Order: sequence, then structure tokens, then C-alpha cells
Amino acid sequence: MKHLKTYLSALLIIFIAAACKIDNYPAPDARLYGTFLDVETNEPVEQDIIRGSTIEFIEHGYASQTKQVMIVKNDGTYRNNLIFANQYTITPVRGNFVPAEPQDVNVAGETKLDFKVQPYIRVKDAKIEKSGSKVIATFKIQQTVINNVRKIGLYAHPEPSVGEPMRTVLSETDINAATDPNKVYKLEIDIPSNSNNLKAGSQYFFRIGAIIDAPESKFNYAKAVRIAL
Amino acid sequence: MLFVLLTAVSCDNVLDKQPLDKLQGENLFSNPEGVKLYMANLYYQLPIEDFTFFRQGFNWNTGDPNNGGFAPAMITDEAVHTEFGDFIGNDDFQWWDQGYKLIRDTNILIDIIPTLDVTEDETKALVGESAFIRAYAYFALVKRYGGVPLITAVQKYEGDVEALKVPRSTEKETWDFVLKECDVAIANLADSWPGGERRATKWVAYALKSRAALHAASLAKYSERAPISGTAVDQKLVGIEKSAAADYYKAAIDASEAIINSGKFALYKPTPASPEEAAENYRKLFEDPNIAPTETIFIKGFARPGAGTGHNYGIWYQPNQTANGWPHPGRMNPTLDLIDAYESYTNPGQNAPIATTVAGNDVNDYNGFDPAKNYKRYDDPAGIYKDKDARLWATAILPGTPWKGQKIIIQAGFVKPDGNAQLFGGDPIKVGGTTIYPYGAADRTQYSGFDTWGGNNTRTGVSFKKFLNEGVNVAPGWNQTVSDWADFRYAEILLNYAEAIVESGTGTAAKGAQALNDIRRRAGHTKNIPLTIDNVIRERRVELAFENKRFWDLVRRREYHTLFNNRVRHALIPVLDLRVTPAKYIFIRQNIARLNPSTFDYKQYYRYIPGIGSNGLVQNPQY
Repeated sequence: MKHLKTYLSALLIIFIAAACKIDNYPAPDARLYGTFLDVETNEPVEQDIIRGSTIEFIEHGYASQTKQVMIVKNDGTYRNNLIFANQYTITPVRGNFVPAEPQDVNVAGETKLDFKVQPYIRVKDAKIEKSGSKVIATFKIQQTVINNVRKIGLYAHPEPSVGEPMRTVLSETDINAATDPNKVYKLEIDIPSNSNNLKAGSQYFFRIGAIIDAPESKFNYAKAVRIAL
Repeated sequence: MLFVLLTAVSCDNVLDKQPLDKLQGENLFSNPEGVKLYMANLYYQLPIEDFTFFRQGFNWNTGDPNNGGFAPAMITDEAVHTEFGDFIGNDDFQWWDQGYKLIRDTNILIDIIPTLDVTEDETKALVGESAFIRAYAYFALVKRYGGVPLITAVQKYEGDVEALKVPRSTEKETWDFVLKECDVAIANLADSWPGGERRATKWVAYALKSRAALHAASLAKYSERAPISGTAVDQKLVGIEKSAAADYYKAAIDASEAIINSGKFALYKPTPASPEEAAENYRKLFEDPNIAPTETIFIKGFARPGAGTGHNYGIWYQPNQTANGWPHPGRMNPTLDLIDAYESYTNPGQNAPIATTVAGNDVNDYNGFDPAKNYKRYDDPAGIYKDKDARLWATAILPGTPWKGQKIIIQAGFVKPDGNAQLFGGDPIKVGGTTIYPYGAADRTQYSGFDTWGGNNTRTGVSFKKFLNEGVNVAPGWNQTVSDWADFRYAEILLNYAEAIVESGTGTAAKGAQALNDIRRRAGHTKNIPLTIDNVIRERRVELAFENKRFWDLVRRREYHTLFNNRVRHALIPVLDLRVTPAKYIFIRQNIARLNPSTFDYKQYYRYIPGIGSNGLVQNPQY
């Protein structure tokens, strides 16, 4: 009986050891990064980090053609440090720019891929200032397509990632028309009537945005501005 | 030798033995009682959005039904939960496997009907009922997923899995299938069942068609409000062309008109003498829908307490004071957003946002107590709600109103004699020898508002009343409530009718206006209002509040992403003002405490399709 026990445990160890075959696949070993650049000005195109433009990518060599997605930071840059070296079909989609074509990219090691896009709207001459008990934004709108501009807005949030999806206070105006590039638009937020969310002595980020009337379009922005109230 | 032989002989047919504790298919269907039994199970599986419908699914009253009492209304602008700040998630409101199980069970019956030895009338009824069930099931699928595989006969596995895979039909084909199945049901079902059984009739089938056609029509008309892209869109598996709206609206008008013109239905107590009477009539209608057989077209019963047969509204949603021993009551908190939608009697035909100050120009100010404001003061803590539509009084328990023999106390704090407000807790104070408690009473069993203890007290300023039975003290356990659910009410048909007329610009506008105003008359309104889409939608919100309609209304009209874009929902908090003697109540409009803003994304108009790895279907956009 004693022998049997020994044999059984030995057998068990052999079974368990047999399962220990090395089955570790290599970890993602490549990095993909880049920036959305305005095809005309070559400046980064401002984005939203949540519910903003997305990058869809399909890894080659698999039947399923599953779309994976990456999101973009507010400054228009993106980075994926955990991607497998391989061929990919990459498409920026549902963005604040004229739809871009898919491109086949070989990702290996440190791969830089910038997207040259035509933003729907450029927010020009943007200025945001505190004046008395108000925060006032003035700016011009330059649209690059013939669609209507749906609306413009001034958004505020305690975090620098402020935008239409991420704001605690907003001031919006519906436009629903084509815009004159020389017209100066003005939006203002009254501080006392938003005392819940804009507290004197704290600082907040303000950002001007505008959205074009196109399916699944996202907001275009000027850079966020930090203001102490 | 002989023994072996005998043993072998006795083995004959051992594998063909019938189990003694289960019914075989042929036996089940050869007996009318068996068919009835089978049918009862199909009805049980029907996706009725009743007291047991939650984001986890249907019939949520078996096993462990503990979901914290988080009702579908809390994902809309109707209510919030006392504690949870959840909004809609990808896994919510799924109904895929269960849907196809019901469809398969129905197809088994449909395939076997021609072989049954029953009378022609009985055959017709079976054909009608099974078409009704399939229409109901596909309606539940198409409003979640868009176009789905149409399985119209029992599938048999004959060694080839691929042969069982049916691709998705387009969304339009799926809606058309639902309406066609309704037509089959309408053509085959009788006016009523001889014993008055709660089974589908011609009129229930018309009611389903009215609801489904209006849903499809709204999608066709409004899908462009929330454009999406992807393979499923390219293949028309989701989305309907705008041009299809006209036919669907017409189908909704025709189906509703058939019910209206039948002369068999009417609103329960249509001409009350006063708003008070109207409130009591409306309350009773939901306490027990069986009292109004002309209004309730289709009822699902909850016959006896217990798993699978009772529900949990009676424990989750009582105000804290009448918890009757249940540890976590008070969880349905109707929002100020809903309260504002109820009309006032003096200014009918408009939303009537509650003005809390004498100036009355600050209904959009949610920044909290402002000592500089001249708040209206009331002796009666429900005084500010006077003049509001009777249905508010029957849908929510307002502060200071009686319920189950108690005065329900809902108070958020007080303004001290020195003018400083003390809200949401803190110590009691003494004023002129009297001790004043922040929540209106000394002990936590004696009030129903704002204390966070146990997550049992409303944080919106009112508690919930609709459907609750004032005369019954529900035992503090699972599935002990047995009130019945009215799935189709005549009032909904009238509202479907009015909406289809005003949205399509067809039909008789005068009749649509009458349908709208008949419902308002029943709620104590005496001045008619014109038929406009805003008036119809407001009326739907208040008349059908908490009947699990609002979620789908926001979906089908593609209003969710607009109304829930960083949406903050609101409370109306009653505060005792000690600056005056005797103390009076003031009210403050403010954001609901401890609740994050909620946002509805375009892609959430469709649920994701589970299991595409094995069923090979095209996934919905952005999943």
C-alpha cells in the first residue's frame, strides 16, 4: 500500500509535469505611434480622447478580419506599445476629418505612422479670456467642405482633456449653415450661474469646438486653454 | 447456458424503453390538455416587459433575483436608483439565446399543427396563437439587433453544422416579417376565449401590430438622426430607408383604428369629476388592472407568491417607512425631469417645470440653495405640486402625503434661523424648545428621504407609487408580490394612433386629437390641446410612465443620444425653512446627489450579436 501511494504520487507528478510544456507565445513586440496632421498646415489635428476619432486596424494572416480599435489623445497623437509585428490594414474612421483611405502597413519594432488628413473645420484666431464674471471666447471658423456647420461650442472641465464629450459646463450655438471664414464668433460662459461646477479660486480648462454636419463626424477644436477663476 | 440465453433475451428493447417521468412529443400533442400545457410554456417565455423585466433579462424572478432593484426606468429620464449610478452597458437588455429558444419551441408547434386531431376552430386558434408568439419574439429581437436570421421551421441537425447557419435578413425584411405574422394572428384568432383566458385574441394581435408598426415607422423616419457605418449597414442588416416610414405609419394607424372602431374597448372611468378622483382611478388601474377589462387588452398574471410566479416591486420600491421588514426598500426615485413634464391644470398643453421661487425665472438653475433667492414657502410639503396633473399624484408618493396609514416624510434638511442651510445630514438643532431633525424625524424608520443609510431613501425628493398595492403589506422575501401586469392598454393604442397620425401627416387629425384629449380628460383635464408631436410625446411620458416604454421610445425616435449627452438628472429637494415662524417648506431644484452624468452612444441603438465566432453572423457596427 505504501508503495502504491508512492507510485501514485510519482505518476501524478509525471502527469502534471507533462502539462508543463512550454506554450508561451511571444508577447507583442512592436510599437506603433504617430499623429493626425493637417494636410495643409502640417499641424496636429486636435481630437477627443473619448467618443472621438478612432483608428481601426485589421491584422493580416487571420480569416476572421476582426477590427481592432485605437483611440487618439486630445493633441492628435496616438501610441500603441503592445502590438504584434505583422502586416496591418489601418484606417482612421469616424473622425473630424474627410474620410481617409485604408492603408497596408508593415509594423515592426518602432513604427511611426502619421495620418495626413483634411480636418472638416479649422478653428482660427481662437482666444479665450476671463473678463469680469464671464469667460469669453472669440474665434473664426474655416470649413474645408461644403456641408453645413452644425454647431459651435465652448466647453469647460477641470481636466486638460476637455471637449464636447468631456465637459461640466458648456455654451453652444446652433449654426446649421455654411460659415463665413471672416466672421468672428463669440461664445461666453457665465461663472456665477455655474457656481456648482466653476468655483472661484480653482482653475479649469476651456476649449472651443465646432462640428460639421456629416454622418458620424466628430468635433474639431482649438487647443485647450487653462484659466484660473 | 440457459441463464445466459434468458439474460440475452430479456435484453430485448432495453434501449427503447420510455421514461416514466417525462411526456413524449407525440403523447403531448395528441392530447388537447397537452397542447394547452405546451402553449402555457410558450406564453411564459414571451418577452413581456413586465415586473420581472430587468436589464439582465425577462422572468427575473427565479434563482437569485437579487439585482438591487435596478429597473429599466433608471436608464431613462424617468427615475434613478437610490444608490447605483449605472447607465446602459453592452451586455444589458440582451435576448438572443432565449429568443431563438422560444422561436424553436414555437416552430415545433407550428410544424405539428396540421397533424393534430382537433376541430377546425381549434386549428385556427393554434395557427393564430403561434403566429402571435412568433411575431412577439421577432419584435423583441429586431428592436434589439436590427435584422436577424428568420427561422420559420424547425431546424434538424443532420451531420452538417454549416447547413444550420442562416444569415441575417435585412432590418426591413425582419420588420415586415413581424407585421406579416401579426396579420396571420389577426386573421386566425377569435374575439375572445370562451373561459376569458389571458391568451392572445384578434385584438391583442392588433395591439402588437400597432406597437411594432409604430416602432418600425419611427426608425425609418428618424434613423438619420444617428448615422452609423459598417458592414451591417452596407448590407442593410441595420437601418431602414426613410421611404418605408409611410407604409409603417399607415399600418400603425390601421391596426389602432381596428381596435378603436371595434367598440370593445374604452378608457377606465373616462370622465372623473375632479383631479382627486382621476388620481385615485389611475392608481387603482395599476394596483389591479383586472378591474378595467375594457382598458387592459392583454394582462400577464402573477398568481401566487414564489419563484417564477411572484415579483419584487412590492419590496424594492416601497418608501422606507413602509418597508415592512425588508432591508432595502425605496429604490425607485422618480426624477424632477419627469415631474416637470406633467402638465398643470391652469396652463395645459405645456411642460410645467416646477418654479421654486417667487420670481419663477430660474428653473434651469441647479446650483443649490441661494440665500439671496426669494423661495416660495409652503405649509404643506406637497404644496408645490398642487395643480399638477393627477397622474403625478398616483405615480409618485409626494412628500407629506399618506401611504399605508403613515405620513411619508421626505426632507433634505433645513435652513437655520440664521439663514445658513444644513442639507443632507448633520446634527439636529433646537429652535424655540423644539428639536428639528435634518431628515424630518428622529429615527431612521420614520422618514423616507435623503439619508444614505442602506440606500433606502429617495434622493430625488419623491418616492414611487404606481403599481404598488396600498392595501397589502408584502412579506419581506423574494417574489412575494402578486399584482398583475397590463401589457397592452387601450391608452397606449390611442397614443400610438395619435403619434402615427401626427408623424405621418395622414389619417384623420381630428380623431388623433380626440384620442389624445380622451386620455387627458381621464386624467382630469377639461381643456383640449391641439395634436402636435410634442403634446403626444409629453402625454406618452406621463400616461405610460414606468411601463417600460420610455427606453424604447428614446431608441425608436433616436432621441437617446441627444437627451443623454452628459445628461445630469435632477431632484426637487424639500427643505424646512426655519427663518420664518412657524417653519415652512421651501424647495430647491438641484442635481441628484452622487450621480455621474450619463451618455448614450450611437452604437448602443443596436445591441451586439452574441456568439458570432460560431454562428458566423455579421456583427452590428462598432462592437
